[in-house]
Amino acid sequence: MSTEQFNQEFGAIRGQLKSYILRITASVADTEDLVQDTYLKCVEKLDSFRGESSLKTWIFTIAFNLAKDNLRAKKRWAENVTDICKEAAMSNQAFFQEAMHIRMTSPQGHFEIREHIAFCFTCISKSLPLEQQICLLLKEVYEFKVHEIAQIIANTEAIVKYYLHTGRSKMVHIFEGRCALIKKEGICHQCSELNGIFNPKQKLQVELMKIEMAKEAENADKEHLFDLRMQIVQGIDPFGSNAAALQLHHLEHNRMVMENI
Amino acid sequence: MTSNTIAQNGKATTVKTTFSRETSVGIEIKADAAIVWALLTNASDYPRWNSTVISIEGDITSGGQIKLKSTLDAKRTFKLRIKEFDPERKMVWGDGQGNRVYTLTDLGNGVLSFSMQEKIGGLMFPLYAKYIPPFDQSFEQFAADLKREAEIIASTKN
Repeated sequence: MSTEQFNQEFGAIRGQLKSYILRITASVADTEDLVQDTYLKCVEKLDSFRGESSLKTWIFTIAFNLAKDNLRAKKRWAENVTDICKEAAMSNQAFFQEAMHIRMTSPQGHFEIREHIAFCFTCISKSLPLEQQICLLLKEVYEFKVHEIAQIIANTEAIVKYYLHTGRSKMVHIFEGRCALIKKEGICHQCSELNGIFNPKQKLQVELMKIEMAKEAENADKEHLFDLRMQIVQGIDPFGSNAAALQLHHLEHNRMVMENI
Repeated sequence: MTSNTIAQNGKATTVKTTFSRETSVGIEIKADAAIVWALLTNASDYPRWNSTVISIEGDITSGGQIKLKSTLDAKRTFKLRIKEFDPERKMVWGDGQGNRVYTLTDLGNGVLSFSMQEKIGGLMFPLYAKYIPPFDQSFEQFAADLKREAEIIASTKN
């Protein structure tokens, strides 16, 4: 494959790679660096690509190898990350002033509940062991097959299945206990609360009815609701959406809070 | 009784002598040994799939120490040491009163034999034997939970 061909292919995958790295690092700066490092490493090793896997799998494998040492060295986040970070935000006036400024001035400063659901998934999935989070993202969001994930993380298909199942089970359980969008007793209403702050003229119930997961919450089982949540995450480009600037600002806040605990 | 002679029917058996008691259970599991091993060695994940375990703290690894709370006696915490650790084949954990032995054997065609034995005893055993609840039901539940969970994982879509 020529460098020119590769550049074209890489360009097509770049958006997915970037959102994947953001979701595992929760850091915009680390994401930019890792995407760049991945590109350079791929070009350097391009001669070794024999087409034994898809180019996308090969690129994600290189990205995982570049990211893993840094990620393994960092503490995993707590399941109640959104509670911890909400408390920190409440006592940080500058955070809200900045957020409101982004909301008023940035073309990507909209607040959308759907975007916040994806943001919330990114934060809570960081409470899983790293391998479980990575397998879950690769399968449920980026639609890799089990054998491709096994290649990316250099493990067996059996262990990938174990990581997928345990990661998914834990996330289903956490959202069942926390998310008020899917369960009345859920203790977290953060997306609704923030919608009230950033979109005071919107009617919450009308907005919620636009979201399939919230609409089906009473009748669907927890596994199906998790699939619907994954569809939301899949459909959002955290760098390209109308809400990107606001959500990335919020994510940076949460990362700093969690890394300084 | 050795792991090879334990019936693979999910039913527990107990052999009692004056100075010891040994309970065993065996079951066939249609899953890769790596999956079963991962389930058996991930301490914090036990309560999610194993209804006989309240909690396990510590690392289930060679020479590791764990604190186990079981539904058999919810008020007690058992401090156990991992005495043998042969990945995907055999693990032994225990304390001064007894050992629990887990054995995995590949039967071919994607089927695995799982057996679990626990022998408790010693010279003082007759004095405290009556205070130790029977293990049979708990062992059967453990084996059934492990089989169910491992087979669900093995059937994950590719």
